[in-house]
Amino acid sequence: MMDVRRDKLASVDEFFAMQAQLIAHDDPEMPTIVISAGTCGQASGANALIRVAKGELLQKKLTGRIRLRITGCHGFCAMEPSALVEPRRTFYPKINPDDMITIIEATAKGDIVERLLFVDPETGRRIEREEDIPFFKRQLRTIIGRNEKVDPLRIDDYIRNGGYQSFAKVMSGQGPRFVLDEVKASGLRGRGGAGFPTGQKWELFASQKNGAAKYLICNADEGDPGAYMDRSVLEGNPHSIIEGMLIGAYGTGATEGIIYIRTEYPLAIKHLNVALSQAGELGLLGKDIMGTGLSFDVEIVKGAGAFVCGEETALIRSIEGRMGEPRQRPPFPIVKGLYGKPTMINNVETWANIPVIISFGGRSFAGVGTERSSGTKIFSLVGKIKNTGLVEVPMGMTIREVVGNIGGGPAENGAIKAIQTGGPSGGCIPASMFDLTIDYESLKNVGSIMGSGGMIVMDDKTCMVDVAKYFMNFLKDESCGKCFTCRKGTQRMYEILDDISRGKGNLESLDLLEELAVTVRDTTMCGLGQTASNPVLSTLRYFRDEYIEHIEKKRCPAGVCKGLVTYFISDRCTGCMLCVKACPQGAITGKKKQRHVIDADRCIKCGNCRDVCKAGAVEVV
Amino acid sequence: METKDILNIIRKGNGKAGIISILENIQERYAYLPEKALRLIARETGYPLVDIYGVATFYKAFSLKPRGKHCISACLGTACHVRGAQAVVDEFKRQLDLAPGGTTPDNEITLETVNCLGACALGPIVVSDGHYFANVAPGDTKDIIQGTKDGVYGSNGNAKMYLFPIEAACPQCNRSLMDSEYRLAGYPSIRVNVLAGEARGWARLPSLYGNFTRIYEHEIPDNTLVKFLCPHCGSSLQGKAGCMECNAPMATVKVNGGGGVVSICTRTGCAGHMLELNGAAA
Repeated sequence: MMDVRRDKLASVDEFFAMQAQLIAHDDPEMPTIVISAGTCGQASGANALIRVAKGELLQKKLTGRIRLRITGCHGFCAMEPSALVEPRRTFYPKINPDDMITIIEATAKGDIVERLLFVDPETGRRIEREEDIPFFKRQLRTIIGRNEKVDPLRIDDYIRNGGYQSFAKVMSGQGPRFVLDEVKASGLRGRGGAGFPTGQKWELFASQKNGAAKYLICNADEGDPGAYMDRSVLEGNPHSIIEGMLIGAYGTGATEGIIYIRTEYPLAIKHLNVALSQAGELGLLGKDIMGTGLSFDVEIVKGAGAFVCGEETALIRSIEGRMGEPRQRPPFPIVKGLYGKPTMINNVETWANIPVIISFGGRSFAGVGTERSSGTKIFSLVGKIKNTGLVEVPMGMTIREVVGNIGGGPAENGAIKAIQTGGPSGGCIPASMFDLTIDYESLKNVGSIMGSGGMIVMDDKTCMVDVAKYFMNFLKDESCGKCFTCRKGTQRMYEILDDISRGKGNLESLDLLEELAVTVRDTTMCGLGQTASNPVLSTLRYFRDEYIEHIEKKRCPAGVCKGLVTYFISDRCTGCMLCVKACPQGAITGKKKQRHVIDADRCIKCGNCRDVCKAGAVEVV
Repeated sequence: METKDILNIIRKGNGKAGIISILENIQERYAYLPEKALRLIARETGYPLVDIYGVATFYKAFSLKPRGKHCISACLGTACHVRGAQAVVDEFKRQLDLAPGGTTPDNEITLETVNCLGACALGPIVVSDGHYFANVAPGDTKDIIQGTKDGVYGSNGNAKMYLFPIEAACPQCNRSLMDSEYRLAGYPSIRVNVLAGEARGWARLPSLYGNFTRIYEHEIPDNTLVKFLCPHCGSSLQGKAGCMECNAPMATVKVNGGGGVVSICTRTGCAGHMLELNGAAA
């Protein structure tokens, strides 16, 4: 059953007994088909695979011989929908429902399906096991690797795989001080972006004694466009967040927990709701947890679509039901936060790291990564790259290793030009600097930030002026409007960038842009405004020549800025008429087997012709 | 009627999370925030109307305009953007003759853009009525619009794919619940007895997994909690699990000789269901 209701656990010993029983009743050798069904998986067709697998196992009477486990995202999104067959750990990428039937037949006989295995694009060889595939091989998947082990709707799966064990460990005789010391020793820094030392924050919070209530908040308002590691953890392993918060509550004396999650993540909200009610039924949340005297509960508050609410004072106002406008700090939320009470906010990935720290010990955790940036970090490697997906690596790896080795290089035939990290608060890092190591300080030194972990790859078909304009458009919409310089400054920067993208800019406007950027950075109150200039400053710093080309030659070298490009059909045209039919404006003329022509006056540059052309004859200049 | 309904929603949200959660609940019910609702919230909560209006316009998830029957959301996150999402949005705008946020005059489709849906690896992403489309190109927009109008992307639309029939039996007395005389969706139906308050009757459920048709002997309004009973031994089929969609209790029947169990939500109008295979059980 999905959740067999049981009595509440009365003691920590009862928990360990239950865990031992779950492990004893599990047969690790039983063939198990694991289907990756996070939002990405479902978008790629995982639901059909699940349905086919269920129907097939039932009708062939295999339900006692082959298990099915539906899990969150495994991370290799480019290969979705995918399945993993345990115990051999055979990885089947990009499968369809018919393939699923074949896989079930083979699994029942103890075979593998050779032709459906992953093919290494470099060697052309088939690779059976997930961990041997280059994308997975070079990662250290401490957090995201747990997704494939647990069905997020089954607390038993989580407990069997060591879940709530860290919490039970700290509750069996270790004092709150132990928790604080371990987190401090781990050197963990906030995964939300700013990188504040978590242990220090916890210690400060633990010492707060302002009234009865103290709040813990999980910031799950993953607003950076292009970043989705938090969603994946929330969907795939919601109990790990709850466990992290429980340990935090014990260590700091917090009385209530809130998960503030963006409403754009329906599956994550659903899984969290189920996880919270299961943890409550087992007595892992609520009053007098496992008879230890600790009382702590967690509730979900949904965001309503405002990027600025990722900022902690705005987030607090939003939970209070008000407009999400940041306020001046100090007082910091640690002292005076939600409803005026001490409040500590940590990001999803930070919370997910807490059980890991307790389990491995703070010192061994600190042994991973670099001296000042310990542990692993999950990145969403997306954009113009072959192996899109979630990548978890130790801090201190170079960008080149992540993009080249794990990411597998450029998608299609492009040449990678830059990566963008840190979302709208971050910046672009050019390919010439890819030997840079990934840690909080080095990214900041080159004008970007770690941020929450978005890593968007850009190639020669990405226009850097357009990227800056894109972020400024985003920021001017999302600026709450409280600080004049942010409200008007982002608006003006957008207008200047828009002019440049239309060929209406001049060289003086670059100076004005820089001056505005510095003013907005220096005169605004919250993180949104203070970092809003990063996309502009970093692209001006590393890709000034592209700006100048837009201004002086009225040309967009990447072929993106609509006002500066024209579509034309080259002599590679085979005269197939596809584009003639696809053109919504009737702007393309031509006869069969003759080269077609685009009427530039009627062309709206929608790109339909380029999409349908099989000969690659539609060019943009 | 509407006033009463809105007041119920306002009073249910007993204060703590405040205006945002009330607005969310109202929008969930009406798909937008009617002016009347904003005025009622102000009256009931004592907050000035301008504050309510402020919150309602500050957050992107709220709409003050009525929305269409169907919703197409195009993602404009960074990863989608660098892969050409703007061209996709432009094409939707052109085809529907709408600006984002607008609704077609026939009230069929609302077009929206969102900052990031978090499916960045598969961009450009478009979501129609909850169904995700990956790697969308401008040329795909026509089909998506047509499919959306035809309603094939809602939960019932998806269910058309890869359905299979199951054989149900009572978990208590093991007797079959299949009724080959009364067919639903081309297959024998599952017959159970149903208790709605004091009213008793039979219910027929489709045996085609993923089909949500329900036929009741006596009409039962949506949103009613019912009890399903075995027609042979009379025992309650109520299981221990809660519905993932609405947390109502679920009823459970055994399928294919114990190869699995199917749980269905006991709240009328909810499509919550779950097929568990024995091997997958905890």
